Amino acid sequence: MDQKIGSALVVGAGISGIRASIDLAQMGYRVTLADRAPHMGGILSQLDYQFPTDRCGMCRMLPMVEGEPDKFQVTLKQAPSPVDPDCCIGCGQCSEVCPVEVPDAFNAGLTHRKAVYLPVPHNIPNTYTIDQAACTRCGACEPVCPTGAIRLSAMGRRAFRILVVDDESIVRNSLDAWLGDEEGYTVEMAASGPEALEKLSAAPFHLMLLDIKMPGMDGVEVLEKARVIQPALQVVMMTAYATVETAVDAMKIGAMDYLVKPFEPDALIPKVAAVYDAFQETGYLKRTVGAIVLATGTTCFDPSVGKNPMGYGTVPNVVTSLEFERMLSGTGPDAGRLCRPSDKRPVKRAAWIQCVGSRDLQSGADFCSTICCMFALKEAAVARTVAGDDFQATIIYMDMRTFGKSFERYGQQTWSTDGVRLERGRVHSIAPTPGSEDVAIRWTSASGETREEIFDLVVLSVGQRANDQTALLAEELGIDTDGFGFVRTVPFSDTRTQRVGVFAGGTLTGPTDIAESVIRASSAAVNASRTIHRAGGGLVEKTAVPDAYRDVSREPPRILVVLCRCETSAETDSDLDALSARLKQDPAVTQVVVLEHICTADGWNALTQTDTAGVNRVLVGACRTFTYGKKAHGLAASFGLDPSLIESVAMDDRQGPDAPATVAAIMAGISRLKNVSAIEENSIAVTNRALVVGGGIAGMSAALAIADHGVDVTLVEESEQLGGNLTWLHQTIDGAPIAPFLDDTIGQVDKHPGILVMTDSRVVGAFGQAGHFFSTIETAGEPTTTVEHGAVILATGGREAPTDAYAHGTSEAVVTQRELETRIHENRLDTDAMKSVVMIQCVGSREAPRNYCSRVCCPTALKQALWLKSRSPELQIYILYRDMMTCGLAEAWYTEARKQGILFFQYRPDRKPEVSINTGDKVPVSVRLHDPILDAPVEIAADLLVLATGIESRLPEALALAYGAERDQDGFFQEADSKWRPVEALKAGVFGCGIALSPRSIPEAVATAEAAAGRALTILAVERLPAARTTAIVRHSLCTLCLRCVDTCPYGARFLDDAGQRVQVNPAMCQGCGDCATACPNSASIVEGFSHRSMFGAIEGALVAM
Amino acid sequence: MDPFEPAIIAFVCNWCTYTAADLAGTSRLSYPKNIRLIRVMCTGMVDPQYVIKAFLEGADGVLISGCHPGDCHYINGNYKARRRVKLLKEILPRFGIDSRRLRLTWIGASDGIQFAGIMGDLVAQTRELGPALPDLKMVI
Repeated sequence: MDQKIGSALVVGAGISGIRASIDLAQMGYRVTLADRAPHMGGILSQLDYQFPTDRCGMCRMLPMVEGEPDKFQVTLKQAPSPVDPDCCIGCGQCSEVCPVEVPDAFNAGLTHRKAVYLPVPHNIPNTYTIDQAACTRCGACEPVCPTGAIRLSAMGRRAFRILVVDDESIVRNSLDAWLGDEEGYTVEMAASGPEALEKLSAAPFHLMLLDIKMPGMDGVEVLEKARVIQPALQVVMMTAYATVETAVDAMKIGAMDYLVKPFEPDALIPKVAAVYDAFQETGYLKRTVGAIVLATGTTCFDPSVGKNPMGYGTVPNVVTSLEFERMLSGTGPDAGRLCRPSDKRPVKRAAWIQCVGSRDLQSGADFCSTICCMFALKEAAVARTVAGDDFQATIIYMDMRTFGKSFERYGQQTWSTDGVRLERGRVHSIAPTPGSEDVAIRWTSASGETREEIFDLVVLSVGQRANDQTALLAEELGIDTDGFGFVRTVPFSDTRTQRVGVFAGGTLTGPTDIAESVIRASSAAVNASRTIHRAGGGLVEKTAVPDAYRDVSREPPRILVVLCRCETSAETDSDLDALSARLKQDPAVTQVVVLEHICTADGWNALTQTDTAGVNRVLVGACRTFTYGKKAHGLAASFGLDPSLIESVAMDDRQGPDAPATVAAIMAGISRLKNVSAIEENSIAVTNRALVVGGGIAGMSAALAIADHGVDVTLVEESEQLGGNLTWLHQTIDGAPIAPFLDDTIGQVDKHPGILVMTDSRVVGAFGQAGHFFSTIETAGEPTTTVEHGAVILATGGREAPTDAYAHGTSEAVVTQRELETRIHENRLDTDAMKSVVMIQCVGSREAPRNYCSRVCCPTALKQALWLKSRSPELQIYILYRDMMTCGLAEAWYTEARKQGILFFQYRPDRKPEVSINTGDKVPVSVRLHDPILDAPVEIAADLLVLATGIESRLPEALALAYGAERDQDGFFQEADSKWRPVEALKAGVFGCGIALSPRSIPEAVATAEAAAGRALTILAVERLPAARTTAIVRHSLCTLCLRCVDTCPYGARFLDDAGQRVQVNPAMCQGCGDCATACPNSASIVEGFSHRSMFGAIEGALVAM
Repeated sequence: MDPFEPAIIAFVCNWCTYTAADLAGTSRLSYPKNIRLIRVMCTGMVDPQYVIKAFLEGADGVLISGCHPGDCHYINGNYKARRRVKLLKEILPRFGIDSRRLRLTWIGASDGIQFAGIMGDLVAQTRELGPALPDLKMVI
């Protein structure tokens, strides 16, 4: 394939921005990732737990191996950081002396922090930063920093240096007071021309305020000479009224402006500010990029604005769901114990109020925030584990929207546990309880009665809101936002904005959850890549190829030990001497060097320049392991040694260098190094072709995305034509016709030179691994063929589930949603002949046999109901539902349907509607149900009964197994991780998209297809797949072919070779977990760097000093 | 006489507990100095031989600590470790080693505070059990 070129900008470093950046970087682009906050992670750094595991696991997302659309000029405002992250060692001494205390946004304001602080307490590496708005510039932190990392002078106006030149001290002093003390600039003064020139030669200045009439050398002469010394210096002349003409002359030779003395601060300060602004802009980062991915996300709704009916901020112990998340966290205000804010009493009864700032026309939110139902369920579940079994959770909600993959089962599991109670209702007031700190909630229940209950704590499930910065960003980039402030996309896409080359990931185009954010991010990334690729490049930025490391595999280990020391004292010296002598007793240790302050720039330079010619392993002992971890590759390059031959160990700086723990750590490190051999670079050749199974919209989108990158695609479709479910769909809920979109997509596929379409074909067998699969394809009436490919995408889709419930199949008047759609599509529906239509949702869904929400049926019911209403406004339409799953922006259609007079009846699964078919002249169908509001039975006569039966998977088990993928319990594609790796199988090189993953709409299916294509391209875009650094190998001479290792490998990376003689490891699939090494009874299976010898040595080393 | 200071070997997984230890260190949390951390990629990599070896070399306690259930970076290595610990607890008494000297915990990457707390508890418990070596001599 073509060489990848170019660079991209990703704005927003939350989960989507990170995902998009990793994807683009893995595809070979240079990526600039920008964020407003001083740290990465977005809101996720504040969320410790995610369902379904109620834990995090974000690490699984990491790569396991270490103008015109093609030209965007972007300018990034980069705030200079007063704390040098390369020098900061996170010791926290600055924070101890800082006198400023402000609420900590990280803990949602529940705790306080200093103006110099750790933005995220559990970041690694973790460096301090200064909150420039809160900082008073008192300067207390600067001298206490042991590594000199803090330079307040680099911050804001302090970095702007003004030279005041005047012979009158009164002028100098008042300017110093105005500009220095009040405005915060750095001001220096000179009493004469020669003194000014001297200062200009000594240090750079940005602005000079220069008097004209001075004894000796006058202002004009100073100006001429100054411009030679510092040509970029801006000069404002200060002149008496009599010499204004001279000032004008001065402007001709380079002064930018003049002021007539005497002048007021008001005249001076704006001029200085203008120069300062221009100066700041020179510090902005300018980049030319081929495409832009926006992932700036959303913010949480602030419940204290407006009428504040929930009493947030006024009634004690009312918190937001984000605050509650922090209260549960180990890094939160109470170190993970669940105490309420007002009196720190343990919380035993808590209520969650859903839809605060969502589905709320009064606060301008006619959308569903999508995440809050699952968020509340998860918080209730986690709170029970934190607060104990006597914790009682009550969730007051309108509809429980468990619409995503595995959501329904998680929900059922949570709300069926004792102590978690769901109450359908709407809260109308919250009040403090007199005489206690408890909170009283009054709400209207589903049956219309008013209920009141008292809780220890009330959690407001606050919705997502468009970020207020989105509008500015959108205007700058010339893209559109909708009425709620979300970025508008083109039809049938969740990630393409109207401007070619600008894409949006995550929640920017509408509220969504983590998995969908990650999918949209990957989709945005692959679309950005297509844009850059199509443009043919021109923006080459290649990273330097690292020099080859020295081959030391045949040398005996010769170890250099570098020890860092913080303090210089006779005691430390003698301790270090003793330690050195002790270490040198080991014959493998050839040299011990003591350096000072490796954490500082000087120390680091000394480390990198250490002579390593005579050694082949290096051990660095210093107080912060991670400081070296992130720089290990840098050290590897300067030493010319493979990174696996460089080890760093933490020396405990609370104890002396010869303390037993320190000695043990170093000894363990040495013994590990002795037994490590340089890892040879394993890699396997990649077949640059993709196989896509399934020719629906997902399969076609995936094929196009891959083929647009110059990689060939074979697209296999079982039926005789492409299109899948789109062939029978009429239009979308927005009214966009499907047929033109489908025809256009099929046209693109047919015309694409890189796509080979095989219809009437099926995959009948496959084997192989990431990088090289073989698939056998059977085509009707033709001989079978074998395709070699590097990755496979399963896009087998789904179909409407069949049913015989509610008398389906016995009457023409009972149809499924698809049958109704077909009648509409084929113009076979006589709407004038009908008076009443009933729709029943969740037929066989969200309970056995399909215990999941099919997600599209509620919007489909609304779409069909609104279409019928538009045809026949007099038609009575009744929708019988369990929970209306109109997530995200689809909520607006639910509102619209109610406005149009469509009636909604809620039913419970234990009280389903009953249907009977009438004969003769009567209205054909009678539907009886129990109405919860009237608390009475209701009977509806219907001309048409529409059943929403949901979607079932069409992924054959044999097909999934042929590629080593698995199906989940509902028959859908089992992803590697539901949140972090939502479109790939655990087995590398196998991807899933569209309805094969789980039921979803057209734009969502397209997004998963593009995401899968992007993930597949990280394999297909390279010629050879590099292996992970730490992988397992087999010592064949010791192997008895018991195959226990093959069975235990969670990645399927091991296999018996064709001759059945040797167990082989695919280095591209092996992740180095070491299961095989532990399972092997003969020590024939070894993980590089963790051999038994190495581990035994480490254990001995660790205990020898005790 | 100085109180008995037990020597404890902790096999910690690269992704969760090792990171938590780093976090505890960088957060300036104090935890006992008796712990010797040995980093492994996954607790599923901890061969029962390593545990026996540690006791034979003079450890008074051994900790294996990895990711929380369902959270293993390598899918299920921590469950495999759990099975091995169960077996080891059966076997260790036959070597004269109290099975309480071997502990298995789950400490996630962001649990720096928990890491420090658990290490404190562990040392206190092992201190109560006393030195392991006398038991061993009885076996030999």
